[in-house]
Amino acid sequence: MNVLTRGVKNALRSPLRSGAIVLMFAISIALILSMLVARSSVQAKINEVKATAGTNITIRPAGVMGGMGGGDPLTAEQLATIKSTANVSSTTLTLTDQLGTDDTELESSQELGAFGQRQMRFESSGTTESTTAPEGTATTEQSDRPAPTPRITVTGTNDVNSVSTDGSDLNITSGATIDASGNGLVALVGSTLATKNSLELGDTFTAYGSTVTVSGIYTTDNAFQDSGIIMPLTTLQTLTEQADVVNTVIATVDSSDNVAATVTSLKTALGDDADITSEAESAASSVESLESISSLALAGVIGASIAGAAIVLLAMVMVVRERRREIGVMKAVGGTDGKVVGQFTIEGLTLTLIGTVIGIALGVVVSGPMTTSLVSSQNSTTSTTAAETGRNGRPAGRPGGFAGGVEQINTNLTQVTASLTPQVFIAALGITFLIAIIGSAVPAWLTARVRPAEVLRTE
Amino acid sequence: MLQVTNVSKTFNTPGGQVHALKDVTLTVKTGEFVSIIGKSGSGKSTLLSILGALDTPSDGTITVDDTSIEKLSGHAQTKYRGHKIGFVFQQYNLIPNLTAIENVMLALEFGGYPASSRYDRAAKLLESVGLNEEEQKRRPTRLSGGQQQRVSIARALANDPAYILADEPTGNLDSATGKKVFDLLHDLSRNQNTTVIVVTHDLEIAGKTDRTFTLIDGKITTK
Repeated sequence: MNVLTRGVKNALRSPLRSGAIVLMFAISIALILSMLVARSSVQAKINEVKATAGTNITIRPAGVMGGMGGGDPLTAEQLATIKSTANVSSTTLTLTDQLGTDDTELESSQELGAFGQRQMRFESSGTTESTTAPEGTATTEQSDRPAPTPRITVTGTNDVNSVSTDGSDLNITSGATIDASGNGLVALVGSTLATKNSLELGDTFTAYGSTVTVSGIYTTDNAFQDSGIIMPLTTLQTLTEQADVVNTVIATVDSSDNVAATVTSLKTALGDDADITSEAESAASSVESLESISSLALAGVIGASIAGAAIVLLAMVMVVRERRREIGVMKAVGGTDGKVVGQFTIEGLTLTLIGTVIGIALGVVVSGPMTTSLVSSQNSTTSTTAAETGRNGRPAGRPGGFAGGVEQINTNLTQVTASLTPQVFIAALGITFLIAIIGSAVPAWLTARVRPAEVLRTE
Repeated sequence: MLQVTNVSKTFNTPGGQVHALKDVTLTVKTGEFVSIIGKSGSGKSTLLSILGALDTPSDGTITVDDTSIEKLSGHAQTKYRGHKIGFVFQQYNLIPNLTAIENVMLALEFGGYPASSRYDRAAKLLESVGLNEEEQKRRPTRLSGGQQQRVSIARALANDPAYILADEPTGNLDSATGKKVFDLLHDLSRNQNTTVIVVTHDLEIAGKTDRTFTLIDGKITTK
């Protein structure tokens, strides 16, 4: 029997106590591992969300929400300010308008439905008659109102792909894309609108009193978009007599690191005349819940590490104090400090090693459910808050027809996959090793301080 | 030869300084069997601790075979204890988690005995003090007081020490068992030329040793 076997044997001399120490330590290790996995997985998700948030900033006239609201369009002067703002590498300009029955012979492919009819209930033309109340108060009543007619959304843009709902290139199913930077009387027609009006490549239709040629048919995954028309920006500006103005600018920033600063610069430059939002801002807001989980997990790691160290430390201090006589005897019969300290260090390491193995196994099992539970509980709280703010409109950053990205981000927030990466495993082992060292070094120090004469004198 | 010259030991206690030993001088020749007697608190155990390098004197020198042990480093004192000294305690002080033979093997390990021959050596020593093979494999709690003291003596003899320091070796034993243990120590002195120093308050035992030192209030009064 040598120091090693004696140390291991002594560690297990009291199965009940050793078992309790090992169990408590294992739970600490499992908690450390679970929290590390949760933190790592959540952090990976945060990085993923931020990376996919892109570098686009959307600028709209103040008060405009999609095709609704009021406000003045963005002017040429404001566009120049946006383009000259530091870090803005490019701009996509969009002007949207709606073709009514007076503007075109085309029929909208959209079914109004109850929702659409309610939206348009004040917009139908009809006769009104005035009556005089007996008291002499004048009132106005609306009567003979015809059924509302849905309008056709026409988008003038300098980049047709900006109409795409998912950021990818627009899917042209027939013909070719238009020269968006030009001023030709050409258009891309949404697939459902083309079908409704039997439009094919090369056909013409009337818009704002001019004849426009169908250059291509496009399709998206969005029924609203597929019932619209896309034209070159300048063409629509000319046809609608809104020279040089737009109602949406998407400014692309050269780096994701500069998005926040650019938003600030634009807000300063444009003041209250424009509503400015960015996907990155929205993403940052969306991942706040995940960041709080990450902080919580870090606190958990620290707390569990302290608890684990305290368990081992107190257990070993108790063991050393209980066995002071034994230590004194070992020294009296020729045991050097090295051998005696070595034996007690091995005892501590044996307990921590067994606890580590059990704890890591336990951690591997519980880290997944724990991460999922943390994320879902935190996001359910956030969702409630989001639902409340949602009464005022769409999610921040993507008002109007281009919404979708941020909604996608919010949906994906709960899809955090807990994975035990080698880095996390090494970090957990490192923390455990540190605890084991502390848990063994202090008892070793106490052991070395035991003077055999003092122990034997107490007889 | 063991020579103690003007050794004093003072302890600082909350109640003030306690002078456990006062200017103690004595000489013990190689192979002698001597006893130190005195009342409780007279300084017997303190003197034995200093002789065994478990403690250091406040003043004076202890020379063992031409080496001043009070000047040795802590590590050298440990080696001195492991090779030159064998302790026998009143409470036996066996390691409870180890069997009788493992207790003896522990001393052999500390003394640097080769691992391959420790078991045989320990078995032979235990046999020589009267423990059979079955008893050798028992833990201390399953041995009688006399058997435990025999294991303690076997452990003390493990590294062929030149000196056996025994602190009340028969104090916890009945008279018959105590006599057997005393005879065992006496045999060691006579047959193996081992110097044995026994601390006791039993005058009958002290009377059977070669010489007796009497300690009163930390001072040697008779030699």
